[in-house]
Amino acid sequence: MPPMIDPSLFDQIKSKIEEDTTVRKELEQIVDELHQHVSFTQGLLSKIHSTPRSKYPTLLPQVEEGIKSQVTTVGKLSAYASQYPYYKYNHKWTRSLQDSLSTCLLYTWLSSPAHPLLTPSQLADFYSVPLNLVSEDKFHITTEEYLLALVAIIEDLSRLAMNSVTLGDTALAVEISAFVKDLHAGFQVLNLKNDILRKRVDSIKYAVKKVEDVVYDLSLRGLIPAAGGAAGAEGKKEE
Amino acid sequence: MEGVQEQQQTAPTVQTNKKDVDMSGFKRDWNGNAKKRDGPKPPPKKVVQNQFTPMFEALRDELDQHHDRRERIIKASRDITALSKKIIFALQRIRKIDEELPKNIQAELDTRLADISKLLATIAPEIQGINRYRYARSLMCLEELVEALTFLHYLKTQTLITPEQLSPIMDDLVQKGIAPSEDVAMTDVSEPAVANPEQLEEKETPKVSLTQDDYLYGVFDLTGEMMRFATTSTALTGTMAGSGAEGDEQPRTIVEDMHELGSFFEMLPVGQGNRFQWEKKLEVTRQSVQKVERLGYDRTIRGSERPKGWIPDLSSGDQPEEE
Repeated sequence: MPPMIDPSLFDQIKSKIEEDTTVRKELEQIVDELHQHVSFTQGLLSKIHSTPRSKYPTLLPQVEEGIKSQVTTVGKLSAYASQYPYYKYNHKWTRSLQDSLSTCLLYTWLSSPAHPLLTPSQLADFYSVPLNLVSEDKFHITTEEYLLALVAIIEDLSRLAMNSVTLGDTALAVEISAFVKDLHAGFQVLNLKNDILRKRVDSIKYAVKKVEDVVYDLSLRGLIPAAGGAAGAEGKKEE
Repeated sequence: MEGVQEQQQTAPTVQTNKKDVDMSGFKRDWNGNAKKRDGPKPPPKKVVQNQFTPMFEALRDELDQHHDRRERIIKASRDITALSKKIIFALQRIRKIDEELPKNIQAELDTRLADISKLLATIAPEIQGINRYRYARSLMCLEELVEALTFLHYLKTQTLITPEQLSPIMDDLVQKGIAPSEDVAMTDVSEPAVANPEQLEEKETPKVSLTQDDYLYGVFDLTGEMMRFATTSTALTGTMAGSGAEGDEQPRTIVEDMHELGSFFEMLPVGQGNRFQWEKKLEVTRQSVQKVERLGYDRTIRGSERPKGWIPDLSSGDQPEEE
């Protein structure tokens, strides 16, 4: 008569649970590190709300440093996490990674007067990690993470639209308005389900309204640079 | 007024967008008079196209694929859960641990398992590799299925099935769902039939792998089923379910098995991932163990007062009510 429980089963399961615990602890450490870099960079980036564009050349290089540290840590995370099923532990870092992506997107948007938006693949290249893997079980940036990072910068930019007016840079507000509205239109192309992405995307409309109100206030007072958004920005920059 | 007009010039997109949204019936000119519509009905509101549109369209397709796949998995999962529960109910009609199941119950099992096979086969390709954990939360059915299969195994062998024994059974289920041949009817799931040698594509057959959590939480639930089984079988047969022929001096009973399972879970370290769920399941298991040990006590202290094989005569009890 065989025993109820196979004698080797307990040790087998116990060691698997212990391994899982070790992996989680290790991941938590890396994610903590990433979180610190992200918070620092976010803090630096929050200075844009009180820094005129003419001072960006001193601010943005510091931001870039912060982003570089993030990229290094994400590399570490990628190397470690790729050893294990991606979606088993993905929830541990996805929030910090989204924040990291958004600092990077915002940084690139601010760093050039053309206001480029990094596409998902450009962003993945920047981090030197794969994008949206469907069969290979490795670390990567997901579509949802990219979109959630976009939502975050839209919110930040809508705040900047207001503050740029306070700083006397009305052209920036107009540029933000055009960008935010284009992104909003982009998000409306998506078919969303009732999930976190839907919830966050729903908040974009408030950012759009905020920016539109700023532009309306400006136009009402004839404060919008006459030559249109992009040219006005150029003019401002040269001053 | 001038300012407003200027806005119209500098930001024409704002204006047109607003009109599209605000007025559904007809358009007005600047003075508020209804505009005459010239020509046929204008085309429906155009989707705004800009430099980001292609990117978002690509992202939409990716998201759609994910949502559709998830939907298919959830649908199959719900059905598999229901079928697994039916198997468990059928198994609860068994009264003793025996390698040979009663014929009617075996027949019901075969049809249920055949249905599960088909469902598993439809979702198997969707949950390979990276997608296994991606949709883990939509695959709660596997926990239920493990519960049914472990219970079946217990009723036949009075042992706890190991993950290694379980995985060929799962493979076999998927295999049978993919190739519905004449031998669809499963005669014995715990001994998977040898796959047809002529099935050349066999190595490409997707597998439905069970995670450790599927297994452990399935076994947690097994303790509840064992408790139910112990209660009914003891009440109706007057003997504590267990192994061994009549003559055995010390047959192992379900009470011991429950104790062993209880200690097994108590000794395991708590998984960090879902501590809360683990504690909850462990508490339920503790209660089940205690219910069964109470049964064991009752049986020991009072069981001998009952004549062997005595069954409560329920039919006579019903009669007065009917009249």
